[in-house]
Amino acid sequence: MSGEGDAAPGLRGWLEERTGLSALAGLARKKTVPLHRHTAWYYLGGMTLFLFTVQVVTGILLLLYYRSSADEAFESVQFIMTKVPFGWLVRSIHSWSANLLVLVALLHMFSVFLLKAYRRPREITWLTGVLLLFLMLAFGFSGYLLPWNTLAFFATQVGTEVPGGLPVVGRFLLRFLRGGDQVTGGTLTRFYGIHVAVLPALTTVLLGIHLLLVQKHGMSVPESQTEARTGRPSRSLPFFPNFLLRDAIGWSAAVGVLAALAALFPWDLGQKADPFAPAPAGIRPEWYFAWMFQTLKWIPSHVLGIEGELFGLLAFGLGGLLLVVVPLVDPGRDPRRSRVLTVLGWAVVAYVAAATAVVYLKHGP
Amino acid sequence: MLLVWAAGAAYAAEPKPAATPAPPSSCVTCHAELDGAAAEPARHAADDVHFQKGLSCHDCHGGNPAGPADDIEAAHDEKKGWTGKPPRLKIPQLCARCHADADFMKGFNPHTRVDQLAEYRTSVHGKRNAAGDEKAAVCVDCHGVHGIRPVNDPRSSVHPTRLAETCARCHADPARMQSYGLPTNQYADYKTSVHAAALYAKGDLAAPTCNDCHGSHGAVPPGVGTVANVCGSCHGRESTLFLETEAKRKLDLDLCIRCVVCHDNHAVHPPTADMLGVGPKSTCVTCHAEGDPEYRAAAAMATASARLKDRLAEAHDLLERAERAGMEVSADTFALREAQDKVVEARVLVHSFDEARYMAAVDAGIAGADHGVSAGRRAFRELRQRRLGLGISLVVILAVIAGLVVKARDLDRTLPSP
Amino acid sequence: MTRRRLLDWFLGTSLGAMCLSVLYPVARYLTPPEVPEAQTSRALAARDGELKPNDARVFRFGNHPGILVRGQDGAYRAFSATCTHLSCTVQYRADLKQIWCACHNGFYDLNGQNVSGPPPRPLEQYAVHVANGEVVVSKA
Repeated sequence: MSGEGDAAPGLRGWLEERTGLSALAGLARKKTVPLHRHTAWYYLGGMTLFLFTVQVVTGILLLLYYRSSADEAFESVQFIMTKVPFGWLVRSIHSWSANLLVLVALLHMFSVFLLKAYRRPREITWLTGVLLLFLMLAFGFSGYLLPWNTLAFFATQVGTEVPGGLPVVGRFLLRFLRGGDQVTGGTLTRFYGIHVAVLPALTTVLLGIHLLLVQKHGMSVPESQTEARTGRPSRSLPFFPNFLLRDAIGWSAAVGVLAALAALFPWDLGQKADPFAPAPAGIRPEWYFAWMFQTLKWIPSHVLGIEGELFGLLAFGLGGLLLVVVPLVDPGRDPRRSRVLTVLGWAVVAYVAAATAVVYLKHGP
Repeated sequence: MLLVWAAGAAYAAEPKPAATPAPPSSCVTCHAELDGAAAEPARHAADDVHFQKGLSCHDCHGGNPAGPADDIEAAHDEKKGWTGKPPRLKIPQLCARCHADADFMKGFNPHTRVDQLAEYRTSVHGKRNAAGDEKAAVCVDCHGVHGIRPVNDPRSSVHPTRLAETCARCHADPARMQSYGLPTNQYADYKTSVHAAALYAKGDLAAPTCNDCHGSHGAVPPGVGTVANVCGSCHGRESTLFLETEAKRKLDLDLCIRCVVCHDNHAVHPPTADMLGVGPKSTCVTCHAEGDPEYRAAAAMATASARLKDRLAEAHDLLERAERAGMEVSADTFALREAQDKVVEARVLVHSFDEARYMAAVDAGIAGADHGVSAGRRAFRELRQRRLGLGISLVVILAVIAGLVVKARDLDRTLPSP
Repeated sequence: MTRRRLLDWFLGTSLGAMCLSVLYPVARYLTPPEVPEAQTSRALAARDGELKPNDARVFRFGNHPGILVRGQDGAYRAFSATCTHLSCTVQYRADLKQIWCACHNGFYDLNGQNVSGPPPRPLEQYAVHVANGEVVVSKA
């Protein structure tokens, strides 16, 4: 049973002839990770990917029992929490991991920013990364409504009201998001479709590009850690199996943390949403949107002749845009500009942290 | 007496009005143009149920309606039976001329009663009227005289929502009631009652007003032994229980005038748990003193009832907390309804004054509540089991991490040195 | 056994245990529970034949009690078992062929109509279907 050429024996040979995977295996064996003072930050990318995988798996498990209509959504989540074996575990892990995912994604982005890993030739990697972050936030926003409880309902109402303030496109955007003028069962169905189909599709594409580019360019090393002579870091570690084992340690720890959170702090069911009841006091969005929420409250009613909320929206939009073009702002040629950008980055983080803290201090956990 | 009877007979001999609509009446036309009190009868003609059914002034007052409108002599013709304003004492007989005639009334409504006069004669109002008391109520005092509306018309003065005010016109007037020695607080008391709240605030027409307990025409004074039967016509279960116990124990409960001693007759308020027992708001101690076996029973029943309430609250609280923690307790919460039903049943069973029976219901309720409590505890045990499962899996994970750490270090050692 | 072999064995076993502790809950999760969906709009009230004619039973419908009545003619009817007066649970009186509330002596006929006593409104009626030997009640 010998084919053309020098084929390896058995199953391996059979597969190799048909897929040519050994080339990939060769590349994998050559993959190395630079070892230096800031190597620890490299774990964050893999951790984000791991947590996203947890979301996909638990999400698929959940959608086997979840019903996306206003009449049945709450009851189906209640069913999962109380009647399905280990349903409480799957649901609580999904909710906790969602929050952890956003946190780790933000940390990953911030570390890449501080280590200036967005510079040439990694601009597209950065772009896809920022867009992926926005997708994760969209996942969070759309998923939050799905249990159809009071808090989620009103948070969605407030959250979709905000883009409605934009000029020209605002009204269309609001109706597009809500599936109508108000938050209804139609909104729920729409958000569900976005959460389980649209966003995963977009994520697959962007994540694919992101990961491919990371493999292509390898891990970036901060200037301070490269040797003046060779332009490379002094030591490196093979990815397979050494770095991967270390990744596995982190992932195992993450599993432990998620299991502990799910068992000790199971996610609340809340009360079924009643569109006709008045909004309860203290509604607010999830923590990763809290700072925006607070900022809008702080902005005075009119700034430079524009309505306050609209000004805030435009400012957020501008901020998002700036985030995307960071590599173009600081390609690395001007050290002073780099320093300014670093300081600006820290300032933004400090502000976001402070605004988030204010929301929680004022309204409680 | 003979005169009254003769006068009544005289009225009875008058020709009965026809059932078909009468021709337009000159009475109304003329009186409408008069001033003051004389115009009053004509003003209400359109509203009056008699006019609507085709009757007119002459059917009660006699006279000639067919003559020209401005000829008062022709209209007020005594040869045509004109009687003018009938004497007050004769009014019941006047109305009964038609209203006690079954043949006549069934032409208008086959179900209508025709015994109002007979009933009236049994009432205090009727007896005093027969004795010649001008102040005693007659038909027109309650029903109105010219703009009489049917009873089920909400604008009628005897509609359930307005009847109490009508009675109160006399019965809440101290000057009027003084000569009879009757109290005048009934209306004020009634207005504070749960029956008044149901009738006026909730609009529940099934709620009782004066005539539901006292009768409409045969108005009886509150009598010993009568009121309880009356309460029982709506509060059937309580009354049945009460009478069962009375008969069984051969008690003579007249002294307690049954329902009234605990619940009052006019100022009936929603019963509270405090009414049972020996506390400050208790009604038991109105009759039973410390040392009586009844006193001990009341105290025991109140204690048992409080224990049931507390246990039920404990069960509800436990199950709610378990549910919030994500445990499945809906079946157990559902089962607590039965225990809740026992609370209501026990309250009703108070009226049996049978300690054993009451305690049986309370004990059944407590048993149900106990099940709820143990279900709640079971849920928390399961929660602890989950945590145990977590602990075990964390141990496994730590083992994995330890293994990985050692393996990683091991592999690093085999790396080529830099 | 060499140290390396011991280490590999230890790592392998603990990894295996961890995999099991993940796969076991997932496997249990995937097996459908006894009641396949939240019983909010439909409920299995009884098996066909369990109730004799002129008999009834109270069953659970979502989070509220329901009453399934089998009339003298053998036909099934189902109603909400929450009395419309003060929310006690009603029962069936075979002697009177009416639904009765023990709390304050309220009566309902077999159409759910409140015919006597304090109840102000009829009992909500549910739809009943008999299929596959099961008597299933659903909101009308």
